[in-house]
Amino acid sequence: MVSAVVMLSVVGALAWLLWVSRDVERRIGSARWVGALALVLIPIWLWLVAYYAPLEEIQGIFQKIFYVHIPAIIPTYFGFILTALGGIQYLRTRQERWDQLAVSGAEVGVVFCTLMLVVGPIWAKPVWGLWWVWDARLTTTLILWFIYVAYLFLRSFAFGSDTARTYTAVYGIVGVSAIPFVYYAVDLAHGAAMHPANPAKEGLPPEMGQTVGVGMVTFIWIFAWLVAKRCELGSLQARVLASRMGAA
Amino acid sequence: MPWVIAAYAVTGAVLLAYTLYLHAARSAALRDQQRHS
Repeated sequence: MVSAVVMLSVVGALAWLLWVSRDVERRIGSARWVGALALVLIPIWLWLVAYYAPLEEIQGIFQKIFYVHIPAIIPTYFGFILTALGGIQYLRTRQERWDQLAVSGAEVGVVFCTLMLVVGPIWAKPVWGLWWVWDARLTTTLILWFIYVAYLFLRSFAFGSDTARTYTAVYGIVGVSAIPFVYYAVDLAHGAAMHPANPAKEGLPPEMGQTVGVGMVTFIWIFAWLVAKRCELGSLQARVLASRMGAA
Repeated sequence: MPWVIAAYAVTGAVLLAYTLYLHAARSAALRDQQRHS
């Protein structure tokens, strides 16, 4: 049930983003409803974290950090998959909207990946006694972050150039292949990883699973709202650049 | 408890900072657009 709602949110958010990106300047008004949905979900999620999810026996209160760490994974992957999807479509059609979607997915994906990398050590320090260990999951996640930070640098160095768009589209398509390595890092390490296995594999008590699920749904809609806003910004900046070049 | 509060506070701060950046960049782009039109 929880995973079905999360899946439905991913599909709904993707469909909405594809619809908005088709004519972002006219359709961005619908973002206020998505923003309102996220604003309604945030207090519900926080209430579930504080009062509904039971205290875990071994980790105690520190386990509550999981309810913000795990949900950040979905928008991270979503963002980078959107970058690949936008890249494929840009190479196929050469329409700027796909390029905007790809860049927006990468930028917002990096924001959520940063969150994951910052919040993880805040949990690790009191539980493991260490801020960071170079285990398979942490290292591959850091590599994933570097891949997309490099993508954003590449873009910022060559703003508005067709060559940059083409190269970054290819880079974004290749870069997404790192996601399975991150997702299956703990399995690939054959027990040598300190990071816990994927919650989907381990299974969580219902109250914990539902809280993680609501967190994921909340983050998916925050992500969708941010991507739409970033697409709008990209479109505005492209228009300003075009008018500057026309004036020059 | 401080660790838990720190985790949620950092999350809120990062998301808020990015939202404010988008808002500021949009305002700057709109100003540029008006100047060039």
